[in-house]
Amino acid sequence: MLIVKNIVKQYSNHRALDDVSLEVEKGKIFGLLGPNGAGKTSLIRIITQITAPDSGEVIFNGEKLNSNHISQIGYLPEERGLYKKMEIGEQVLYLSKLKGLSTSEATKRIKYWFEKLDMGSWWNKKVEDLSKGMQQKVQFVATVLHNPELIILDEPFSGFDPVNADLIKNEILELNKQGTTFIFSTHRMESVEELCDNIALIDKSKKVLDGAVEDIKASYRNNTYVIEYSGAADFESNWMFDILNTEILKEGKSVKFKLKDAYTVNDVLGTMLPKVKINHLAEVIPSMNDIFIESVKK
Amino acid sequence: MNKILLIIQREYLSRVKKKSFIIMTFLTPLIIAGFYGLIIYFSIKGIADKSDKIAVINENKTLTEKLVSNKNLTFIYKDDSFEHLKKNLSESGFDYILYLPDFNIDTPKGIQLIGTKQAGLSLDGKISDAIEDLIRDYKLKKSGISQEDLDHLKSTVSIDVKKINDTGKEENSSAGASTVIGFIAGVLMFMFIMLYGVQVMRGVIEEKTSRIIEVIISSVKPFQLMMGKIIGIAMVGLTQFLLWIILTISISTLAVSLFIDKEDVKSIAASSSQVSAVSPASQAQITAMNSGPMGDVQKSLEGLDFGKIITVFIFYFLGGYLFYSALYAAIGSAVDSETETQQFMMPVMMPLLLSYALSLSVVNNDPYGPLAFWLSMIPFTSPIAMVVRLPYGVPTWELILSMGILIVGFVGTVWFASRIYRVGILMYGKKASFKEMVKWFWYKG
Repeated sequence: MLIVKNIVKQYSNHRALDDVSLEVEKGKIFGLLGPNGAGKTSLIRIITQITAPDSGEVIFNGEKLNSNHISQIGYLPEERGLYKKMEIGEQVLYLSKLKGLSTSEATKRIKYWFEKLDMGSWWNKKVEDLSKGMQQKVQFVATVLHNPELIILDEPFSGFDPVNADLIKNEILELNKQGTTFIFSTHRMESVEELCDNIALIDKSKKVLDGAVEDIKASYRNNTYVIEYSGAADFESNWMFDILNTEILKEGKSVKFKLKDAYTVNDVLGTMLPKVKINHLAEVIPSMNDIFIESVKK
Repeated sequence: MNKILLIIQREYLSRVKKKSFIIMTFLTPLIIAGFYGLIIYFSIKGIADKSDKIAVINENKTLTEKLVSNKNLTFIYKDDSFEHLKKNLSESGFDYILYLPDFNIDTPKGIQLIGTKQAGLSLDGKISDAIEDLIRDYKLKKSGISQEDLDHLKSTVSIDVKKINDTGKEENSSAGASTVIGFIAGVLMFMFIMLYGVQVMRGVIEEKTSRIIEVIISSVKPFQLMMGKIIGIAMVGLTQFLLWIILTISISTLAVSLFIDKEDVKSIAASSSQVSAVSPASQAQITAMNSGPMGDVQKSLEGLDFGKIITVFIFYFLGGYLFYSALYAAIGSAVDSETETQQFMMPVMMPLLLSYALSLSVVNNDPYGPLAFWLSMIPFTSPIAMVVRLPYGVPTWELILSMGILIVGFVGTVWFASRIYRVGILMYGKKASFKEMVKWFWYKG
């Protein structure tokens, strides 16, 4: 639904985006990752039409991105806030009218969302009377209220307590089930693994990695396993594997090993089975966190 | 377009509903009307009541003619001795004792004025004038001029200043009234542009520091947001201005009818009914009443076209406000807090202050001179300079040219400011400089 083609954005003394291309499929949750200052916000600002690229283009639903698409995109920026002196209900109403909703339609939807997220009594409150987490909830409602096809969330969970973070996460998943596409920018890799279907990693203004989360993780597998066993025998590195790490457990040991080429985990098990009791065996799959750190270090 | 209207609506309503706006709007006319009423009250009552009683002790042999009492001074001749009266002054009921010794008529010396309170400068002047008159009359009579001729010599002069306008008609005018009205219009203009320009800047800073800017900017163009804010606040200004006029008139009318007896109302009502169409005018009247006879002011006010002055004032308020508020918006977008605005405020304030200062001095002294002309053409200074010049009469072509330049000027500053604004509002935590802002101006897209 969203195709970003060869975007270049140059600020006077540095290049924020250097030939970045990526594609977001409809109905998916897309993770946009990268260290601070990598160019994520610059890219999001181009997609939300806050700024324009120097070259390259963005295609939204088969059309070149234009001002008609503004009402189909919802954006929750990382740097976000509300008018301090304005009442909550009035404020959300204003923001959704700016997105093109009529007063009556917007009022109806605000009431629906306020009920849904336990905010029923907030209509006449002022922003300065709310806690930061409560404000975040209001902002989330304002982002999704106009039923956008694409919702861009920049660090959506910062400032939430675990209960409310979970609440919001479930809303994201529910909206996603109904067909809403998400772009999700965050540093919290555990939420990436939990939510995202696809990711792109941007580092130093360039895209360094993209694809489905499962595929990326699979490609970062490096034949490493952990085995837990009990029994007297000890194992040492040999022609089949190198031992990376050994831990003494309450009962037996835990050994992390890396297979050498041409051998499978079955070969290893074959040599061990006669000597010890195997309690647990698992392949070590790198976490997104490891992948992130490794890609950025390169 | 619809979005700009939404923004204008929010900017307007959120300000008009504020307590401070409501208080300011209703209190100011009350204060103005209060002053108005008070000054009228004292200028009528005060003059009638305030009459100093002066005991005159005349030991002079030549000066037998007596000082004549008037509205402010009552001279009562006493045969008492100076020393005795001096001792009993507080019980005697007199305010002052005037002692005229037996001086040589050519070198009047030793005259004393003694009172329980220090005599003011004006009293001193009035009494010495009276004595001088007395001496002069005495000398003139001695040289053979009769009392009749003497009376005949005295005359009161009042100049009827008129001006021929564009259509060749004669108009009453008076430099005094024009100065006062120009002064008030200039002060108001300066105040309005400053007050509401700074409000635009505060509004932009508020959106930036509260971080709502990025949320809104994903729905509307920065230019729409900036213009919506500027127009919304302009409407707040106009609302306040119109309310001030309406409230000032109604409160003044009420005050006038409450404070003053029917006799006095006649003259004041006549003038206030025709000048109170605008509050500056009624203020002008107050000031003018202090400085000169009311009849003159009334006559010269008749010569001023208040409809035109108000219309032109509103045009220059809007034009000047748009011109400056765009610059204020650009400043607001470049900084993170109000304390950082200082260095940028100076260059914007300078032309405004300069035109204010020059308009009230140079332009007032020579409203048709080259400096006055250029000040009222350059859009940085024309809003103030032109309204100051206006009561003196400005040729129509100059007015149209100046308005045209101002329109081009504000389109220019709005364009210039919007290019800085769109970049500035998204910059957090960076200290902006003029160099930086020039860079922003050239950014694409």
